[in-house]
Amino acid sequence: MEEIAIEMKGIEKRMRQKTIGPIDLQLPKGYVIGLIGENGSGKSTLIHMMLKIVFPDQGSISWFGENYKQEIPQHVRRQIGFVSEKSSREEDNLTAEEAAEFRAQWYPEWDQTYFEELLGKFKVPRNIKLKNMSKGERRKYEISAALAPRPKLLLLDEPSSGLDPFAWKLMIDELRSYMESGEATMLLSTHIVDEVKRLADYVLLLHHGKMHGMVEKDSLMDNWKEIWVSGGTDLAGDLPGIIQVQQDVQGVVRMITTECLNTEQILQDSGIPVLKTRTLELDEILSLWLKGHLPAGTQTGKGD
Amino acid sequence: MWIPIQLNENSAEPLYHQIESQLRSLIISGQIKEGTLLPSIREFAGGLNCSVITVRRVYQDLESEGLLRTKQGTGTFVAKVGDSQREVFRREAVEEALNSAVDVGISVKCEEDELKELFLTILHSKYHPDKREGEA
Repeated sequence: MEEIAIEMKGIEKRMRQKTIGPIDLQLPKGYVIGLIGENGSGKSTLIHMMLKIVFPDQGSISWFGENYKQEIPQHVRRQIGFVSEKSSREEDNLTAEEAAEFRAQWYPEWDQTYFEELLGKFKVPRNIKLKNMSKGERRKYEISAALAPRPKLLLLDEPSSGLDPFAWKLMIDELRSYMESGEATMLLSTHIVDEVKRLADYVLLLHHGKMHGMVEKDSLMDNWKEIWVSGGTDLAGDLPGIIQVQQDVQGVVRMITTECLNTEQILQDSGIPVLKTRTLELDEILSLWLKGHLPAGTQTGKGD
Repeated sequence: MWIPIQLNENSAEPLYHQIESQLRSLIISGQIKEGTLLPSIREFAGGLNCSVITVRRVYQDLESEGLLRTKQGTGTFVAKVGDSQREVFRREAVEEALNSAVDVGISVKCEEDELKELFLTILHSKYHPDKREGEA
């Protein structure tokens, strides 16, 4: 069986403006899970519940297979690296080195050499207070400091916001090489589709606090396609997963399917040639998915 | 080691299948030599923008075919390709190409004799390029 880093069962949280959940999910160990959702969809709240910064009203969460009634025990919390959407004020008046010294006391596994290496690569300025750094510089410090203790679980809430394209590329490379060992698990909340494309193994979609599913990224890319076939729009009725049909030119129908592999098989068996196939861009897939077209066989997290 | 794999996004063929068949032919044709250390699963996946799930599946499939072997802690290597395996692959690759050439002929309604003649002409010109120049 696959090991699970974090599991949520029946999680619900009533907020002022909205209700999050019910959410059931499992983050499998060793993978990058891209967390996608519009502003206010509950991504940060979800992450905060995984850190017990926010307590759910209902449901249970387990970390590496264990439940904790009260706080997350220190030895477990120390294995979790967190980059928050907004940097904490506590470190505002410290320099990167001072803040690291402070954090290193708390994380026994803190790897100062690795931290220095990351600061160097990211060109984080030394000897200036964190609050006086630019947003991007501060972000680069936060990412370095989250990786330095070599956590088993990384919860990254929009880590790339404010990064220039060069630093962004570097972040992608560093996160990828961090995942190399297969021991770490990463939940990456982001608005950057390219980040998901380059890093994620799974995509988790949140919409108005509800989970719209968690799917293998490549299964999305393999199955969500636009196809052109000879025939009329009536063809769509006999095919699986068709979410859009349009007569293109005389005798050619254009369809978007969420089950391309099955669709093509049926067409082939019926002797209907597929004239052209196009893989949808990930952002097209995500926006169709947000509109409520769920991928086939999704773990919707609505419970049984 | 960089592996030259080219994904066609506008094909109905699933990603894992594209990667697997390309990697298989690179190994069997000898373009990737025996003993070569392949990239880690995460690195390979990163280069292709696909998931580690897909790459792991490819490595496992090719390992069970005997084309790859994994050493715990060191990585995945290209195994020795048997002569019979290479022979089958050679034959299949040529057959496949000829098949599709004939299909093109049929689709533009070539007669069998016409195709035969064309094939022999092309064959001759490829194997004896100098002679042809001499004639011209």
